[in-house]
Amino acid sequence: MRKHLTLLSDYFTQYLKVRLSYKGDLVIAVLTSFLATVLALAFVLVLFSKIPTLQGWSFEEVLFLYGFSLLPLGLFNVVSLNLYDFGNLYIMEGKFDRILLRPVNSLFQVIFEEFRLESLQEVATGIAIVAYCSVKLNLSWRVQDLVLASSVVLCGSLIYLAVFLSLTSVSFWLEDRVGLVPPVFNLLTFGRYPISIYNGFVQFLLSWIIPFAFASFYPSARFLRRRDFDLYFYLIPVVAGLFFTLSTLVWRQGVRNYQSTGS
Amino acid sequence: MAMMVQVQDLAKEFRTFRRREGVWGAFQNLFVREYQTVKAVDGISFDIAPGEMVGYIGPNGAGKSTTVKMLTGILVPTRGVVYANGFVPYRDRLRYTKTIGVVFGQRTQLWWDIAVIESLKLLRKIYDVSWRDFQERLEHFDQLLRLKDYLNTPVRKLSLGERMRCDLVAALLHRPKLLFLDEPTIGLDIVAKKNIREFLKEINRRDQTTVLLTTHDLSDIEELCQRIMVIDHGRLLYDGRLQAFKEQLGRWKQVKFFLKDRGDFAELESLFAGDTLQCERLDDLTARILFLRDQVSSAEVIKKVLSRLEVRDIAIEEESIEEIVKNIYQKRNPKL
Repeated sequence: MRKHLTLLSDYFTQYLKVRLSYKGDLVIAVLTSFLATVLALAFVLVLFSKIPTLQGWSFEEVLFLYGFSLLPLGLFNVVSLNLYDFGNLYIMEGKFDRILLRPVNSLFQVIFEEFRLESLQEVATGIAIVAYCSVKLNLSWRVQDLVLASSVVLCGSLIYLAVFLSLTSVSFWLEDRVGLVPPVFNLLTFGRYPISIYNGFVQFLLSWIIPFAFASFYPSARFLRRRDFDLYFYLIPVVAGLFFTLSTLVWRQGVRNYQSTGS
Repeated sequence: MAMMVQVQDLAKEFRTFRRREGVWGAFQNLFVREYQTVKAVDGISFDIAPGEMVGYIGPNGAGKSTTVKMLTGILVPTRGVVYANGFVPYRDRLRYTKTIGVVFGQRTQLWWDIAVIESLKLLRKIYDVSWRDFQERLEHFDQLLRLKDYLNTPVRKLSLGERMRCDLVAALLHRPKLLFLDEPTIGLDIVAKKNIREFLKEINRRDQTTVLLTTHDLSDIEELCQRIMVIDHGRLLYDGRLQAFKEQLGRWKQVKFFLKDRGDFAELESLFAGDTLQCERLDDLTARILFLRDQVSSAEVIKKVLSRLEVRDIAIEEESIEEIVKNIYQKRNPKL
């Protein structure tokens, strides 16, 4: 465990070295991320100015939900790159052989062999939106609130990781798993809106089957002082832990089933 | 003495589904899948002692790679037992992989875009090699392979030979007891091949590293291994000493005669008319006589020819291991 923690920084440094070896590419990436952040903010303001209230949720509250949802998503996106391409890159091209030959946890290697630092701009955008709405809504943030928020954001990232890891693991059994990811990814945006606007089935789905509501809506509701969702708030770490554990079990079963390529 | 590798009745079956052709076939594939079971490795057993260098050969699709993948812990066997260096490879993966080195000639395990030394430094941490050991070993490898010239070059800019040397170093950095090499000299020129073979001999001599070598280049095996294993259709066809392999299975011998006169060939041919051996004309002044070694001796053949003809020169050749192996694959060899 401790070895893996130090290795994380080593893998990250290695990634940076690779990125830095292509200087032009890096400069462009930094510039486009900055531009993307500005554009994303402008887009959100335009979009949300059309929606004054949503079933008793004010414009600023809905905007807050959106901003807060970007935090766990952005963090997840920083490490998720290899999950999307896993089937092609690791299974078809046989890169997974090399993963299994090293004395390091296989999931750890796959996740941390590649980062997408550009996605930190989503986190920045999210923080900006949350800060703006907090001022508008007169929400005060004490230190313990910030600590609490950071922990539920991490739990949220873990929930995204769990869901997409389970989908990724399907590649161990099926070659063509790509079809599964887009619909689930679309479902992700559902978790950004007040869950009470959906019918019972969608509410159940977003809470207990693909628990995206636990990654964005339930945590934000608490910071918006909407007390009727408190019970769900306390369940966040339980749900995150449970789903993540389940997804690693699916992964492990997949690794055992790995067939490797021809030669 | 405890064995380094123990394999007993090892088998791996793959279940693949048969794809139908055409649009209608693709549509059918969605609903009804027909599965086929392919036996890649079909019950093989062998032991490898510490310090041995074993050549493992077989045609494409014979089960070589699948065996190596089970021995290295990549694949879980369908049945049978594997112990390597005291571990069950797929089960004790994290502890086991620390004690082995693997080189796939066709794929590098180094980071493509950055300097070789950066990859080695990360591998040092992955394998928990102390800084002092790391430097000492690098120095030693440099003496044998002259690495220093390109340690700071990105891997993508290395020649195949340089990259192969770096991959070997990467696989040996943690001084593994067991080394798996898959086509380590593929695509290399003669000098690079020689250099790498010398290096492997030295590593084997110095550290008693056990080596399992799969290759298509049989000269690798002749240079490095005393023992050879031949696999085809998932079964071991031969496992024994290389020398015995040649003696038992090499059936043919040939004697070449370099003639003095064009007309001599007809005379030569008439000498052996009615015998079981073959007489071939290679060009105007060269003739070749092929015979089964257990029926005639080369001395008899030569004596018979010299009694009637004067020749410029004589060359005796044995069947090369390439040819023996080819015969085995084609099932032409009656001894198997």
